[in-house]
Amino acid sequence: MELSEIVRTILQDFPYALYGSIMVGIICSFIGVYIVARRVVFFGAVLTQVSMLGLAMTFLPFFALPHSIGALVVTLVSAVILSRMLTGKKIPRDAVLGFVFVSSIAARILILQKAPRVEASEIENLLRGDILFVTPEIFFMMVGAFAVAAVVHLLFYKEFTYISFDPESAQTQGFNAGIWDMVFYLVAGVVISFATHMVGDLFVFGFLVVPAMAGMLLSRKVRTIFALAIAAGIVAPIIGLFVAFRFDFPTSPSIVAVACVIVAGAWVASVVRGR
Amino acid sequence: MDPIIEFSHATLGYGRKIVLNDISFSILPGEYLGIVGPNGAGKTTIVRTILGSIPPISGEVRVRSDSGGALRIGYVPQRDTIDYVLPYTVSEVVMMGRYRQIGLLRRPGARDRDVVKQALVHAAVDGLADRPFRDLSGGQKQRVLIARALATQPEILILDEPTNGMDLPSRVSVLELINELHHGKQLTVIMISHLLDDVANHVRRIALVEPNFFQVGHVDEVLTADNLSSLYQMPVRVHHHHGSTIILPGGSHGAQ
Repeated sequence: MELSEIVRTILQDFPYALYGSIMVGIICSFIGVYIVARRVVFFGAVLTQVSMLGLAMTFLPFFALPHSIGALVVTLVSAVILSRMLTGKKIPRDAVLGFVFVSSIAARILILQKAPRVEASEIENLLRGDILFVTPEIFFMMVGAFAVAAVVHLLFYKEFTYISFDPESAQTQGFNAGIWDMVFYLVAGVVISFATHMVGDLFVFGFLVVPAMAGMLLSRKVRTIFALAIAAGIVAPIIGLFVAFRFDFPTSPSIVAVACVIVAGAWVASVVRGR
Repeated sequence: MDPIIEFSHATLGYGRKIVLNDISFSILPGEYLGIVGPNGAGKTTIVRTILGSIPPISGEVRVRSDSGGALRIGYVPQRDTIDYVLPYTVSEVVMMGRYRQIGLLRRPGARDRDVVKQALVHAAVDGLADRPFRDLSGGQKQRVLIARALATQPEILILDEPTNGMDLPSRVSVLELINELHHGKQLTVIMISHLLDDVANHVRRIALVEPNFFQVGHVDEVLTADNLSSLYQMPVRVHHHHGSTIILPGGSHGAQ
């Protein structure tokens, strides 16, 4: 396939794949900077699995909600519980996240074994998400989640910054670290839930970690780190989609691989600059 | 003069775990109080109670401004509680001290930037304003955190182990800065430290803290060889030399 043909195919036949993956790229990269800075990278992986559990649960007769809503409900409940457990002192954060991670996967597998309505392979396809089959409905739901996340982060930039950097001092100034943490994790939960449903867990987890790394490798200014992470979140899906079509690769792994190449380039650049 | 902080038969701790039992003392405006004791004795518990992070288990703790309102507290935490992943600049870190005054949904204005600039000058770190905080030395970081506390325009400055892990020049420099703020700006100061020499030579009043032992008073009354030997379960000598107090391990028990 030639470049012009690929571009035409993507824009005509899979426009929401392009727009959706760029949107998920932007918002996950932005939230990812905070997640990496808070040292809760595994949180992203956990919420993608929780979201998939919620989606799987919608196949159960007593939880027969629309897939996106089921995934959202379970993800938000988990985000609230996690935000409380992650600040506890008795059990290390990694152990808490690991517990939720394995229990979500185990529960999902058990549920799928007993799901009465459709073939397990169909459910797995739905759970994994596929960029090429993003529907306008899911895309516009993602637009809503994007808008909520953007507005909350714009309005409460100060609070999220302070709580991430020095929660103890923030608390002494009257900022309730527990509440602000919960708001942060809830917003992340909304984004991760819809994004996982739309583009799959590999894409979402990849973009919660990889673009933030590129930003941190290339810049010593916080705003520039956010800007570079978002730029990587825009560029990687565009190039990744092209690579997938050109070489007949699966889309999500292609896009994440391109993001990883960007990080490798950023690392080389940072070494050359002697940072 | 009414105290701004008053502990009245207060029992402090976390949940049901009692750390300090039935303590009473008060802090007047303009005082410089040192809180000393071994690691894990309960020094930070006292501060967390003053900050309102934990409520007293029983008794009463009153924290109030001279004007009767809420006391504006400038808090300088231990440096290792801060996360250095993102390279916030010194100015950005000090501006965080203004976030409460700025309020929800608002951005820093010209007045906030002025206050930050003054705080940087007071703490003698104005030359570092654009440097990433994480790249600074321990002493410079401590000064920046003091500047951030000053940016809250506090009535009281509370410092938790401000000289911990510093080399001698940095320790002296930070202690001199705290002295200047206390005398020059008439700030009430509470300094917590497990380094007895640091506290003994700078404060007038001191609280010696251990779960079964709590004493507050003038430095010379509290920091005696008997008290310290009993507190640390080892012989401790206290010498006074040219106006300085020197605390040393070993030797004759009661030497002064």
